[in-house]
Amino acid sequence: MRLQAASPLEMQRLTRFLPCWRRPPAAGVPAKNVGFRKVASGVSSLGSASPRSLNIFDRDLKRKQKNWAARQPERIKFDYLKEEVGSRIADRVYDIARDFPLALDVGCGRGYIAQHLNKETVGKFFQTDIAENALKNALEMEIPTVSVLADEEFLPFRENTFDLVVSSLSLHWVNDLPRALEQIRYVLKPDGVLIGAVFGGDTLYELRCSLQLAETEREGGFSPHVSPFTAVNDLGHLLGRAGFNTLTVGWVRVTVLGIEKPSCTETRCWRLQQCTEGTIRFLVLPFKTQILWLRILFPSSPYYFLTVSFSVWRIFHKRHSQNPMKMYGNEDGSVPATYQIYYMIGWKYHDSQARPAKRGSATVSFGELGKINDLMSRGKKSQ
Amino acid sequence: MSGNGAVWGRVRSRLRAFPDRLAACGAEAAAYGRCVQASMAPGGRLRKDLCAQEFEALRSCFVAAAKKTLTGGR
Repeated sequence: MRLQAASPLEMQRLTRFLPCWRRPPAAGVPAKNVGFRKVASGVSSLGSASPRSLNIFDRDLKRKQKNWAARQPERIKFDYLKEEVGSRIADRVYDIARDFPLALDVGCGRGYIAQHLNKETVGKFFQTDIAENALKNALEMEIPTVSVLADEEFLPFRENTFDLVVSSLSLHWVNDLPRALEQIRYVLKPDGVLIGAVFGGDTLYELRCSLQLAETEREGGFSPHVSPFTAVNDLGHLLGRAGFNTLTVGWVRVTVLGIEKPSCTETRCWRLQQCTEGTIRFLVLPFKTQILWLRILFPSSPYYFLTVSFSVWRIFHKRHSQNPMKMYGNEDGSVPATYQIYYMIGWKYHDSQARPAKRGSATVSFGELGKINDLMSRGKKSQ
Repeated sequence: MSGNGAVWGRVRSRLRAFPDRLAACGAEAAAYGRCVQASMAPGGRLRKDLCAQEFEALRSCFVAAAKKTLTGGR
């Protein structure tokens, strides 16, 4: 918790007195200069962004948050979403009638996918993540694994290395998603496959809408408090642009019911934080948390503190407890949180893959679809 | 600045007490929610301070609850 304590206060000092700068993301660098590496959350880096990408996510902060989340004592309780998605991705791996000698897990967390796979399907697994604590606390699995500390945007592997790349719920934190997908394609062998899951556009829409309404009523306008997610069309375009073939994108909506009383909103926020790796605290309150800590620096009566902290949290708590109850809540007082998960499968080009037929080469027409059984039996006889 | 997280720990504990204080003001919070929701009906428009009265009621209730818990025992 020391890192977390130091950084927001130093963040405050930085924004007031020092020009902000940001180190390029580097894996495995010791974190002793944490205060000076950080940029105020929500502000994009100056100068180090490539021309075609805008840095929405501070990757250093993301790594700290993931480390924090991986260190939490009760993480088993909050991992259920990742476990579920990990098992679904493992299902998809089994669905492919092939085995993969070498596989890579990008943003593996504690290895939610690998624990469901067996040695016959995957020979060796490379687990990469940006947070070392997640790799250290990896789950038990029977496949031999190699853990690599790497950023999703800078995969340290050669071209044509892996037969399979999986990625569960980590690509939505990547700044330059086209480049990340291109890198994944680069490290894949020809006829290799990427199976991934990311959060989709409807994720946490109750939270997002409640915050929007509350902020509009209180402030007259609103700013984004939930990080942006990809839309399903964009996902297809991104995969195509990265050079994947034979795309498959499907989506699943998971609704998590908060069974606690609506008053236990902090507990729920806490749980949401843990589920999403501690990000809610920073993403949801980017600017207002700075106000909060600024006030704490000066002596304040409890009343004063409460009014300010109240003004910070009023939106989040009130809306999340009461308005979602009215708008989204169920009868028993539970408040749902929706996660929309997009599963995507993309293949790297290989000659053996089926290609679209040439125009004009059709032998049957759609009008004969009603007689498809006859057509198929006729086709089999002629073979 | 504290290096051992004392300030952050205090902030955290205060914020964690929020939902209990909110529980004491369920009626006011529900009124606020209803007001905002009413503006979402067709024909209504959500403006700044549209529900300022309900919010003030909620705020004072909340502060009273906080004072009670603070003086009661910390």
